[in-house]
Amino acid sequence: MIAYFRTVFTAAWALLQGMAITLKYLFKPSITIHYPTEKLVPYEKFRGALLFDAETCISCNLCVKACPSACIQLENATNPQTKKKIAKVDWYSIDFGKCNFCRLCEEVCPTKPKAVWHSLDYEVVFYTRDEMVRCWKAGINYIGKYWNRKEKIFKDPEGQISIQEVHSRR
Amino acid sequence: MTASGSGQAPPPKKVIPDPVFNEKNGRLLKDTRYWPTEVWANPWASPAYRRGAMLLIGIIGAIFATGWMIGELAPLGDTLYQLIASVASAGGLPQTATEATWIMIKALIILHVVLINGLWAVWWERKISAHIQSRVGPTYAGGFHGWAQTILDGIKLLLKEDITPAVADKWVHALAPAIVVVPVIIAFAPVSFGSQLAAADIDVGVLYIFAFAGISVIGVVMGGWASGNKYSLLGGLRATAQLVSYELPRGFSVVPVIMFSGSLDLSVIAHAQAGYWLGFIPKWFIFYPLVGQLAFIIFLIASVAETNRTPFDIPEAESELVSGFHTEYSGMKWSMFFLTEYGYVLLACFLLATFFLGGGAAPLPGLEIIPSWIWMLGKAMAMMFVFLWVRWTFPRFRADQLMDFNWKFLLPWSFANIAFAAAALLYLS
Amino acid sequence: MTRTSPLAGVKTDTLFVNLGPQHPSTHGVLRVGLTIDGEVITKAVPDIGYLHRGTSKLAEVRGYHHCVVLTDRWDYVSAMPNNLVFCLAAEKLMGLKIPPRAKALRVLMCELNRIASHLLFFGTYGIDLGAFTPFLYAFREREMVLDLFEMCCGARLTYNYIRLGGVMVDVGDNWIAKTKEFIEYFKPRLDEYDTLLTYNPIFMVRTREVGKIAAEVAVNWGLSGPNLRGSGVNYDVRKADPYCGYEQYDFEVPLGKSGSCWDRYFCRVSEMRQSVRLCEQVLATLPPGEFMAMGVAKVPKPAAGEAYAHVEGARGDLGIYLVSDGQASPYRMHVRAPSFINLAILQEMLVGNKVSDVIAILGSIDIVLGEVDR
Repeated sequence: MIAYFRTVFTAAWALLQGMAITLKYLFKPSITIHYPTEKLVPYEKFRGALLFDAETCISCNLCVKACPSACIQLENATNPQTKKKIAKVDWYSIDFGKCNFCRLCEEVCPTKPKAVWHSLDYEVVFYTRDEMVRCWKAGINYIGKYWNRKEKIFKDPEGQISIQEVHSRR
Repeated sequence: MTASGSGQAPPPKKVIPDPVFNEKNGRLLKDTRYWPTEVWANPWASPAYRRGAMLLIGIIGAIFATGWMIGELAPLGDTLYQLIASVASAGGLPQTATEATWIMIKALIILHVVLINGLWAVWWERKISAHIQSRVGPTYAGGFHGWAQTILDGIKLLLKEDITPAVADKWVHALAPAIVVVPVIIAFAPVSFGSQLAAADIDVGVLYIFAFAGISVIGVVMGGWASGNKYSLLGGLRATAQLVSYELPRGFSVVPVIMFSGSLDLSVIAHAQAGYWLGFIPKWFIFYPLVGQLAFIIFLIASVAETNRTPFDIPEAESELVSGFHTEYSGMKWSMFFLTEYGYVLLACFLLATFFLGGGAAPLPGLEIIPSWIWMLGKAMAMMFVFLWVRWTFPRFRADQLMDFNWKFLLPWSFANIAFAAAALLYLS
Repeated sequence: MTRTSPLAGVKTDTLFVNLGPQHPSTHGVLRVGLTIDGEVITKAVPDIGYLHRGTSKLAEVRGYHHCVVLTDRWDYVSAMPNNLVFCLAAEKLMGLKIPPRAKALRVLMCELNRIASHLLFFGTYGIDLGAFTPFLYAFREREMVLDLFEMCCGARLTYNYIRLGGVMVDVGDNWIAKTKEFIEYFKPRLDEYDTLLTYNPIFMVRTREVGKIAAEVAVNWGLSGPNLRGSGVNYDVRKADPYCGYEQYDFEVPLGKSGSCWDRYFCRVSEMRQSVRLCEQVLATLPPGEFMAMGVAKVPKPAAGEAYAHVEGARGDLGIYLVSDGQASPYRMHVRAPSFINLAILQEMLVGNKVSDVIAILGSIDIVLGEVDR
């Protein structure tokens, strides 16, 4: 009989303690970040969307070899007179549909500053599959362009962040 | 770098620009990571927290204002009745026509009590649950703390496609939401919202409410059966067992109240709890030693179970049965189930306030100047908070444990409680 | 007088219910074909493979550095031990010597990841049993761990942090201070979890008598991790076969008694406390020095041979068997995925239980479908 009442009261007490905890948190400030209206700056090492600098690249092919998912392609530029390959990139493309965001390409890049590096951009959103494949050439900014198959032209990605340079990282 | 000492100025250090973000919509948070350690350090320093506290005070004030408004509008009812009567007599209509119109008006008011309660309770539940969980809940719809969220949700539900599964029993499927929602509106008739404030002053009000509240279970079973979904079927069957079982302790826990007040009329029960012991302890039923608390707890638990809410939400257990009996409902049909749930919550809150918290009686002598309808609504809303609080704290029972709890714990104790009450009455007489 | 059942002659039938792959609480894309009689399970057939990506095969055409990226995708809620186990196996093949700081960092990251993983288990188990609030509390804390990972290695889920020969980057003083802040914050939260869920009477009545696995049965089915320890079998790779210097740290292996859902759950919650202890010890004794071994080849070509390494992942004994034929990519990689092996016992455990218990048992086994299907 006493054991029965003890069980009942321990159970009731445990339940009340649980309710006390939820009540405590009811009056604590919420920790939510109101995402579209408030945005966090990620930490410096954050591995966001890849950026590429066609001016710096020496077309050494190391990032292509380092990529585990083979999402990087590039082609050497050639000297128009001698028709020989030079240490410049003609075009460079990254398929964000395949990208693992693993930082191997950035680590392996031998140039200083890095020619390919992770930005802090975590809003990598694509409206079409075409936009996932970014292409860079000399003169195109770090974000790159994509080949619009419908209109058959290179276009700037829609709604993409203009630029995020992380100089300390490069 | 400058150690060469050649006198040349060192090359200017490259300025590292801050990361540029797409600031199209929104401001950028650079400093805080929103770690609880930072956010909770000094909550009052944050303007959002101060605003939230003001809002809470505002809501409590609004509840009292609503109660006051109900009371103030009530005398207009008499005027309206006179008006209808005079129009009817001028038109040569019989007395029954006046009565019929008057009942229609009262029914309309009760209907709106249920509907508006649905809007309010859903928003309130979202807000309370969110803040219990360190979230914020709806914030955008309507601009101010998401006040328009449920209104817009209602519009969305109205515009949603009404899907009937191909294998569903079409008629039963369509009929179930109606059968669920109608009894709750009917059951509100004898509920007194304050002294002299009830749609129908029924002598057997308690019985009436329990009788009609029991009908909804048929709709739940119909919905579960007719959906043609195995999860719905299980949910419907679970609902039958649960709701029918919990009717018993819920009814029996009120018996001591009826014994002490000597009436089944809700307003008489409320009036029986007016006055004070020793000048300051209100004679509410919950303050009757042992009997009152026991009855209150049993009634509260059984009411939570009757409204299918956690920890007794096995009929709709979303982690087990997806959504139970209303899995296959969409749009307005689904919201009927929802409306019913919140209607029953409100009903249970008013019953708790009437039976155990003295109805419209003031908690301390001297506070009687505040009208009864304000106390009534305040108590009901406090009970509603308890409902939400319980829901967002506990895990749920298993179906058979729920039955065990009912038949082996609640029901015996409610019987014992009747015995205690009878003994106390004998002793007092 | 013999009594006849009032149901004698009534034709009853069993019901086949598909639990998953789109069910809210199968923790991914698991499908369980349940044959139920009323609410009682008479037969349960787990059906897996909805998330199969063939990483073992993919590894055969990739270099060793690339394979670490693949391992992130097995058990995506605790990817650090996955990285670690592959690196340990590959390092065995290559004969690399790991600097002490790298070892300590590996231990630290694995333990933090164990906390994150068990927090996810704690939260989702609460949801499975109907308590929604502990879930968000657990995620609030889990976010902090993920923030720490983001600060340290740049990713929140697929870290690729532990590399052949060491770790990706060193941690800074700022990070260490933040980790200490988190640990100090986290300790009282564990007590709150106990109040909210562990010792909640409703929770206990739901889980204490359900899904019992006897120690013998658990060993026979090859269970590992908290599922095994919940049955009272004291087997933890960290103690039985220490790696990365686990032997220097002082920690206990929490054990259950009866092997019920509650015991398995309690093992995990207790493990979080032990992980906190381990993190504190590692932070206190973090040795200085290099974080990466010298002379790790860009394209490693280990000599022909084979190696097996196993670690105590968040879900159990995670092992990797690597065969090298001297080429730049492994000849064969086999993964001993604890979730996959733990899941096998499900078909036996579910029979005779109620539908509600299916969710309780499934949740208590704590599978990650990414690891089951690989």
